[in-house]
Amino acid sequence: MRIPGLGILKGMRQTGRNFWAPKVTRQYPEERPQMPDRWRGRLDLIYDPFGEHKCEVCFQCAQVCPVEAIDMSGFDSQGNRIRYGLPEIYEERKDPNAYRRAGLPAEPMRNVARWDEAIDTAWLGGVIDGFGARPEALIGIFSAVQERYGYLPERALRLISDTMVIHWAQVFGAAGLGGFRLLPTEGHLVTVCRCAACRFAGGDALLSALSDELGIAPGETSNDGAWSLETSDEVAAGAIAPAIRIDTMIYGPLTAVQARHLVAERRKSAAAPARARTASRPS
Amino acid sequence: MDLLFGILRFLLATTLLLLMTIPTAFVVIQMELKVIAQMQLRYGPNRVGPWGMFQSTIHGFKFLAKEDHIPDQADRATFTLAPWMVYMAAAMSMLVMPFAPGAIAADFNIGIVYFFAVIGLSVVGLLIAGWASYNKYSLLGGLRSAAQMVSYEIPLTLSVVGVVVLGGTLNFRELIAWQQLHGWMLIWQPVGLGIFYIASLAEINRTPFDMVEADSELVAGPFTEYSGMRFGFFFFAEYVALFIMSGVMTALFFGGWLAPWPFPAQLEGFGGTLYGLLWFFLKSYMFVFVAVWLRATLPRVRVDQLMGMAWKVLLPLAMLNLLVTAGAVLVFNL
Repeated sequence: MRIPGLGILKGMRQTGRNFWAPKVTRQYPEERPQMPDRWRGRLDLIYDPFGEHKCEVCFQCAQVCPVEAIDMSGFDSQGNRIRYGLPEIYEERKDPNAYRRAGLPAEPMRNVARWDEAIDTAWLGGVIDGFGARPEALIGIFSAVQERYGYLPERALRLISDTMVIHWAQVFGAAGLGGFRLLPTEGHLVTVCRCAACRFAGGDALLSALSDELGIAPGETSNDGAWSLETSDEVAAGAIAPAIRIDTMIYGPLTAVQARHLVAERRKSAAAPARARTASRPS
Repeated sequence: MDLLFGILRFLLATTLLLLMTIPTAFVVIQMELKVIAQMQLRYGPNRVGPWGMFQSTIHGFKFLAKEDHIPDQADRATFTLAPWMVYMAAAMSMLVMPFAPGAIAADFNIGIVYFFAVIGLSVVGLLIAGWASYNKYSLLGGLRSAAQMVSYEIPLTLSVVGVVVLGGTLNFRELIAWQQLHGWMLIWQPVGLGIFYIASLAEINRTPFDMVEADSELVAGPFTEYSGMRFGFFFFAEYVALFIMSGVMTALFFGGWLAPWPFPAQLEGFGGTLYGLLWFFLKSYMFVFVAVWLRATLPRVRVDQLMGMAWKVLLPLAMLNLLVTAGAVLVFNL
């Protein structure tokens, strides 16, 4: 049976109990909570002014976390799924960086994908020495490696990390920059910049001209696999807009005629077998 | 000589009552701040003075210090008059309030009629405030508050008619004397008490019937354009009215200044006045506490529920109560 007013009485009983109940307020300036020594406050990811995550999955936070509490995964700029976290299998615990974090002498890693890739270690050591083994020279070293192999083999990156004593996460993060490839690709990659400056300066005309010259639409690869055309927001050539990138080299400012000419030149030279990219890879 | 004494007494009593309203408002506001906080598991204000005692006082002085702004297009005369009317309605109704034996400012024979006539004046003040603000939302707020208060005045007054019929008097002092003889009106008029309490909450715009102000939704209805001490007067009037309604309920249904059974009901002379004051204020503030308790418990009702309650439930119930009371008085010759 419904008794009118009973609900009000129930509610008043609750508030009446609360009246006598101990209070939850913490009297802040007088009462201060005891924080553990290692308390670092609330962790949060930061955002740029456009509301985008500033996190670029560079793994540096995971790398420096003293208790290895950070486990993360994401996609690098090439769209590869990458993961960093606690070593979950025994082999992963042998990762040189796991040793390094533990303060043990690091040994080369044994369980690496594509370990069988042949790398000219002496040559790579020479390149690193030539750059003076400075961390800020990483990009130059990467360029040299990509120039020789057409992409950045993982083994080469591991060697760079070990030789230069730079965290793998940092090397890998730097390799994710635009212009470097982590997977072997045949042929040339032509990237047309689509940043605001380049589009304003006539980047769209460049794109249609190149698409016409190569006979492929943006995002496609030609039938023989020698040429790929793509667009990117980050060719990072603001001062020379409009710009394109052919493999690692950036050209600009270009007119549509010049861009056609650049590609046509390369197509002519690529026809000569001695200059074929795959041929320069040591067997 | 008698006339001179009478004028002096009247002047003294009114001055004292007017002076009393301000601390009363402070006490009631402070109670509201503290009690609701406690019921929400907080401590409430506790920085100003010992236990935060002077929080509401500081609020009052804050109103004094604020700019008193009048909108350009507002009707200055009525805009200024409105807070005064609302406040005076509350303060004047205290004239007949039976605080203690010998402590009634004006002990005249139609005190109850006077009380309900004067307390109703605040509706006029609110309407004026809404109209004079030159703001259509204020005007709507004023009309809403008038609708609510006029609606609830009818069951409020009718519920008291039962008490009057039973007590056979319109004088507060005589009514309390009747209650001393026959027991508190609470026993004789429980339905009347319930109607009176609900209607009085609506009449003074208290939760759960405070849609007129609805602080969080309406920006204070008719007082939107008011600032500074003018708003302060509305604010004070509301809390003084809460005390007054509690006091009148005490006088009408809970034996006024009479002590409950285990104590001597009444003492003689000046001691009796103090003793009466003690019991009157104790009971009145108890009902203020209950009103605050209700505010901490209940959400606001809808406006259609409010009106439906007045016309479909309270009014018929009050009529029936009056009919039964009058019949009983006739039949049993009470």
